[in-house]
Amino acid sequence: MNPVTLIARKESGELLGSGRGLGWMLALSVILSVLALLLVSNTELSLLDNAQVVYMVMGTITALGGLLAIVLGSDAIAGERERGTLIPLLLTPITTTHIVLGKMGGLVAAWVLMYALSLPYLWAVGSSGQNLAQAIAYLALFGTPVVLGFGFYAVGLSARFGNVRTALLTALISLILLASPLLLGPSLRQSAIGQAFDAVNPFSAALNTFDSVVIDSQPLGMQLGRLAVTLAWLALTFWFAKRSAQTMEI
Amino acid sequence: MKPYSVLFALIGALLLSGATRAAAPVDISLTPAARNPAQPEMGNWLKFHSAIKNTGSQTLSGLVVWISLVQVDPGKEQPVDLEDWSAHKAVMRSALKPGESFSVDWPIRLIQAGNYRVVISAAERNAGTIFASPFADFNVKRKPTVESKRILPVAIGIPLLIAAYTGWRLRRRG
Repeated sequence: MNPVTLIARKESGELLGSGRGLGWMLALSVILSVLALLLVSNTELSLLDNAQVVYMVMGTITALGGLLAIVLGSDAIAGERERGTLIPLLLTPITTTHIVLGKMGGLVAAWVLMYALSLPYLWAVGSSGQNLAQAIAYLALFGTPVVLGFGFYAVGLSARFGNVRTALLTALISLILLASPLLLGPSLRQSAIGQAFDAVNPFSAALNTFDSVVIDSQPLGMQLGRLAVTLAWLALTFWFAKRSAQTMEI
Repeated sequence: MKPYSVLFALIGALLLSGATRAAAPVDISLTPAARNPAQPEMGNWLKFHSAIKNTGSQTLSGLVVWISLVQVDPGKEQPVDLEDWSAHKAVMRSALKPGESFSVDWPIRLIQAGNYRVVISAAERNAGTIFASPFADFNVKRKPTVESKRILPVAIGIPLLIAAYTGWRLRRRG
């Protein structure tokens, strides 16, 4: 069996079959439940507000995916080092790139499960509004590169720092910074700095696309630039993780 | 909320007097499209057709034509910010010769329930007043957009299902 598949299967099995993984899913579902109940407590919401609710749920799912990715990614290499299993792993006939990709396999499985779990919530809050199908499709299309990018980024930090706590803290700060548009309204991002930040921030690209597609019903053609930003983020973070793993000190 | 769109709506709503239209060198018609739903509800699209004609003897220059929407429910009278209702809010014409006319279609997505009045207004660079079309009124029926009947089973059921599955797995293992 391909070493990447082998590690990915082990990682996803350990994550999803363990109490830790199920606890994650339970926590995620509770957060989404609380959010859904809070957002829809007003039954007089207009059609626009309904789209706004779907948009906020999509943003929250992407942020939670990013959080899951950095927690798992931070543990990927530094965790192996701290548990004393990194050297045996490096002694096997596989490359560091295989290790990075294999570790990401567990994250991909977790994100797929998380995405599947979010679908009933999206349906519950958005099925009588507008653009629900688009919301589901665009969450996959834009949420996936953003979330996996955070995973690669955290794996890279994990390899560079060799310490789970430091990697996790650094990745968390980055996530809070990049996900800040979730809290700041578009009007607060109209300055030159805000616009420049929006232009290169993959999280902003995803959020602005969710807004554009779900609220403003705009087509895919208008989202291609933002899709390029999220894919560039994925490619850049993959390179960072690969490079960091190749150059890490044993 | 875009300040200029509210300003346009206010000006349009306030200056729609018969006297303004009587001496106007511009004739603006406003007709709902034949395919508009008879009883529109939230989420539907309406289209309004307007024709703007220069009925005077002078060329009109710098003509701006825009759509305004006013909610007319008793106690809720207010101009509506069109930002979310329409992406097509105004058209410009650098010149309109005497007898010349042009048509504009105005699509509107119905966002909120209520009674509304739509009007097309025009301003010309040298004129001291605003020209306006007749009103077109319509009612938007409420459509339930958020249903607690649908949300509660999901919001309560899914965490319970996961908790039950987790408990079952842990008990099997232990």
